[in-house]
Amino acid sequence: MTRNRVQTVDKTSFMKSKGTFLGAFIVLLALFPLLQFVTGSLNYWLYMFLYTFMYIAMSSSWNIIGGYAGYVSLGHNVFFAIGAYFSGILLVYYKVSPFLTAPFAGLVAMVVGLAVGLISLRTRGSAFIISTIAMIMLVKISLDNWDYVGGASGMSGPFLQISREYSKMPFYYAMLLIAMGAVYTSYRIRHSKFGLGLRAISQDETKAEVAGIPTSMYKILAFAISGLFVGIAGALWGYYLTYLKPDIFLTIGIATHMVLMTVLGGKGTVAGPVVGSIAFIAINEYFVTELGSTELNIAATGLLLILVLLFFPKGIVGTLKERGKLPAVLDWD
Amino acid sequence: MTLTEALQVLLLGITLGGVYALMASGLTLVFGVMRIVNIAHASLMIVAAYISFQAFKLYDLDPILSIFITIPVMFLFGAGLYKLLFARLPSDARFGELTVLLTFSLALIVEGVLGYFFTNTYRSSNPSYATDAISFDTLYLPRGQFYATLISVGLILLLWAFLQFTRTGNAIRATMQNPTAAQVVGVNVERMSMIAFGLGTGLGGAAGAMMSFLFTFYPGKHWEWVAILLSLIVLGGMGSLLGALVGSFVLTISAAYVSYFFGPTWSPLTFFLALFVILLVRPQGMFGKKMEAA
Repeated sequence: MTRNRVQTVDKTSFMKSKGTFLGAFIVLLALFPLLQFVTGSLNYWLYMFLYTFMYIAMSSSWNIIGGYAGYVSLGHNVFFAIGAYFSGILLVYYKVSPFLTAPFAGLVAMVVGLAVGLISLRTRGSAFIISTIAMIMLVKISLDNWDYVGGASGMSGPFLQISREYSKMPFYYAMLLIAMGAVYTSYRIRHSKFGLGLRAISQDETKAEVAGIPTSMYKILAFAISGLFVGIAGALWGYYLTYLKPDIFLTIGIATHMVLMTVLGGKGTVAGPVVGSIAFIAINEYFVTELGSTELNIAATGLLLILVLLFFPKGIVGTLKERGKLPAVLDWD
Repeated sequence: MTLTEALQVLLLGITLGGVYALMASGLTLVFGVMRIVNIAHASLMIVAAYISFQAFKLYDLDPILSIFITIPVMFLFGAGLYKLLFARLPSDARFGELTVLLTFSLALIVEGVLGYFFTNTYRSSNPSYATDAISFDTLYLPRGQFYATLISVGLILLLWAFLQFTRTGNAIRATMQNPTAAQVVGVNVERMSMIAFGLGTGLGGAAGAMMSFLFTFYPGKHWEWVAILLSLIVLGGMGSLLGALVGSFVLTISAAYVSYFFGPTWSPLTFFLALFVILLVRPQGMFGKKMEAA
């Protein structure tokens, strides 16, 4: 009894210190760009960070349907494209800043997720995965043929009117914000009845249904929620690039990255996508600087994914946790 | 649209149907026997297309005859891949998802390696029949498409005969129906799976040879193809050979009409729209059995 109590006390005080640690870390990340005013020429690092934040947001979102519910989607870049085009159209034709419209772009992506989910999630397993690939093609062909948004050659928007030196900063903060938002959402879902239901679905859907979990509703909801931050990320990324083209937003590569980062970090864990995104981007950057950017990078991505799937199916976080070596700071499950 | 035009479009659709059916048959066979959705199927087809293309360019080998090279090469390649990647996977609940991710990664590897060696230039072989046409009265038949479809349908018939009348074929069909029961009555399921995977990629090899002169291709092209082929086999019912055949003809003919009315850039949309419609009304496809968590 006493021991038990001691442990509980320990745990709460520990949770507190973990919270302090994470808070301090986020404050540091928020202060980091200010160094630009002092030293200048941090643009490379700002870019690397904002790119990483974006993928943390996207893979954490993907994890909600792909990890918690166990429904692998290979078409999540559709939400990315929808977000980008929604905000892009408003920017080009109505001159509204994507920083204002991005949340709505996320909502639009979510609504599309609901609609697609209603159809796609009638199937399980392989057929579902196939339908997500078909979703990419469906949207790509439509955008390729839609003259209003420039068709296959795309359209370009105005630059953000800030000097080049500081132009990355607003994107840095926006991406940091959505990364935090996505991880927090993922955390809250993981520790809710809804999250429990999703995990039950991933383990045995029939039993979950028998146990009274509204599986269809849960799956569709998870799919839609997982589209939200991906849509917002798309809106911001489109503005950052200043041009929109189906070939950029609807390559299977972006979807692959979300899957790979989550699997690498640990599917179904809260910290997994975060760790996976950082690890993957670091590895990839290393390869690009060492070997140059060639087609072999695509092959290396595939090889890495195969090795992780075969030998570390639980990913970095999952494997460390299993061996009891996961640093407590990363144990958010 | 006059009657002649309608017939002409129908003819064009039919002459593509056989080729699509050949492409889809390998995919559906592999799914039927092993429950593996081979996302890398189209990338292996592209490998065969490059083999055929190089043989034509360097040794002037007719692309249709090159199937005698691409089929055995891709058969061995597929059987080896099976041994390397799938033979020892545990058949638990995560099997379907795991195999999709594995074949997906495999497709990335193939795409990357092909891109490294052959660059992303668009390729196509041009034997004399590729641009030629047979004409009857007011109608015409593109010669290349016509030959390709004849050979494709012939190969599918061969496959059917093999599955129907040989001992190995029967064993493969037994594995399709019920792997556990097949094992009990003495079928070497492991070996049958390897052969079936090899056959699947071998058929893809033949399809790749056809592809080399019918369509332009480059290493990244396989995503588009595999998405179309997957739609075909979902429509037909996953794992059903007859379904793949019927699905292919139905959709290529529909796509030909879509192309006629709305322009060729819209025609691939037919496949994906059909996929969503079928998921909505009959998720198991035309000839499929109701699929559980496969």
